[in-house]
Amino acid sequence: MNRPQSVRQSMAWLHTWSGLVVGWVLFAVFVTGTASYYRAEISRWMRPELVHSNLDPAAAVTRAAAFLQTTMPDALGWSIRPPSTENPAVEVYWWRDPAGPYHHALLDPATGEQANVRDTQGGDFLYRFHFELNLPPIWGRWIVSACAMILFIALISGIITHRRIFADFFTFRRDRSAQRGWLDAHNVAGVLALPFHLMIVYTGLVTLSSMVMPWAEMTAYRGDLLRYYAEAGLMVPGRPAAGRPGEALPLGAIVTRAIAAQSETPEMVVVSSPGDAAATVTAYFVELPGLAHLHPQIAYDAVTGAEIGRVGEAGTATRTGAVMVGIHEAHFAAAPLRFLFFLCGVMGAATVASGLVLWTVARAPRGAKPEGLGLRLVRFLNLGTIGGLPAGLAAYFLANRLLPVNLAGRADWEVRLFFLAWIAAALASAFYARTRAWSLTLAVPGIAVLAIPAVDALIVGEARFLGFDAAMAVLGLLLLVGARLASRRRLVRRRTEAILHRTAEA
Amino acid sequence: MTAPALVLSLLLAFSGFSALALSLERHHRAVFRSPVPRSRSGGLRAAGWAGLTLSFATAIACAGWSFGPVQWIGSLTFSALAVVALIAYRPTWLRMAALAALPLAALTLPLALPG
Repeated sequence: MNRPQSVRQSMAWLHTWSGLVVGWVLFAVFVTGTASYYRAEISRWMRPELVHSNLDPAAAVTRAAAFLQTTMPDALGWSIRPPSTENPAVEVYWWRDPAGPYHHALLDPATGEQANVRDTQGGDFLYRFHFELNLPPIWGRWIVSACAMILFIALISGIITHRRIFADFFTFRRDRSAQRGWLDAHNVAGVLALPFHLMIVYTGLVTLSSMVMPWAEMTAYRGDLLRYYAEAGLMVPGRPAAGRPGEALPLGAIVTRAIAAQSETPEMVVVSSPGDAAATVTAYFVELPGLAHLHPQIAYDAVTGAEIGRVGEAGTATRTGAVMVGIHEAHFAAAPLRFLFFLCGVMGAATVASGLVLWTVARAPRGAKPEGLGLRLVRFLNLGTIGGLPAGLAAYFLANRLLPVNLAGRADWEVRLFFLAWIAAALASAFYARTRAWSLTLAVPGIAVLAIPAVDALIVGEARFLGFDAAMAVLGLLLLVGARLASRRRLVRRRTEAILHRTAEA
Repeated sequence: MTAPALVLSLLLAFSGFSALALSLERHHRAVFRSPVPRSRSGGLRAAGWAGLTLSFATAIACAGWSFGPVQWIGSLTFSALAVVALIAYRPTWLRMAALAALPLAALTLPLALPG
């Protein structure tokens, strides 16, 4: 075996291969995560029946409690999300066992009955795919964590490999060879957004850290995680059920107290052991203004309405972790900064995609040598991921508008069509002629994405969805521009080949 | 944390990065079709760092110490991207754009400052 000649060369090897093996998963994680910055907007578009109304949140919560009381009187817990501008319906969960199943419904705030709304997962599907890949949660989270760790290795080895990080800071040579152009594009997208890339992968690992590295809490608290959460200032300590029934105050009355105490409507209200004499109502508020992702909480006795406790000041370590999670999710960001985070996410996806393409461009055989199996496999996976995922997204949104509203298992069908379209687009790309593969693979989702605003205008046609539709139009046009560039590069190459040919003949 | 504050740090960082790019031989050639004189290179570099510093200062002044740095780093990414795109596609526009960004920044300043 040859000895590696320098640190830089061995780091280049590490960067190339660590980036390649996780690249396809990471591309999907970056794209769905970037879309999740607009999760609420996506959900609202996918539930066009819901319209925001300025109803009293306390009354809406009381009606929701009545619904839950009839649906499952012996539940172990309920959670109720009062209507907000982000989600105009009352979202409720109820469960009998902490291990699940968790039942879910969207209620009409005016009536307290199930809202007349199409069945869809909305933006939550993309959000969960971002870290669970639509697999059983534990599997998905472990896979995404492993990919994130390898991405961290790829980032650091990439920085070491980059010979002229400052001298080439502004360099994008688009008029040289294809390999030079892709390398420059990969470097520009990677280096200019490097603070974001490092931040997002590190803080992403932090969000899953209690799963990846549970030992500190497990050892210090002997597995009693609830005590850890209470002491770290993450939640109000719970209290056991009394085992005898109690007459609770109307839930809205407690919500009114919570609104008075914090002068804002709680984001969520959780009732534990409803109907019990020792039932507890915990009001969760949106995070404090600041970078940290922390939820102020106040717990009330459901029967007397007296305050039982509230989360105190979080400790330094908790705050540090909360700031990292906060920066990852950017809930604090107002519209302009959120858009910047979104664009940074696009840069992340572009870095991964350009790196994957660069791998094949750098290994394209010169002259008439045949292409190896590895090269063809990587190219197929590149086409299938970079072109297939947008096709799946287009199918997901189109299905939301086109499937019959009362179809049984409608939400599942939307997800199924997402994967079917993705797989179909990926398989089709294997049959395109080699020279036209990229332009066709980008043009197909481009046209499908452009169809979204058209279909929405025909079927729903509401002015409040103009923003989403405009974003889809831009995305579709960008895909078509990409398709056009991919076909033009081929023309340029043919022209240069012709010139070379003539020069050789002359 | 308002849109004008973000635009302000973007504009200042854009001017700064343009000056830094022009202090480099390759990009100076692309823009002016001539090698960069030594004296000018130093001046451009100083102006570039001054622009980035000013951008940081305005981000802190307008958005405070918790949001300011986040916002500033984001504006660095996209102002640098704009410089790269101009050099690659419209190199001759870079000088004008970098100079035009400065009065625009001055106009944005009163909108961006809090209070």
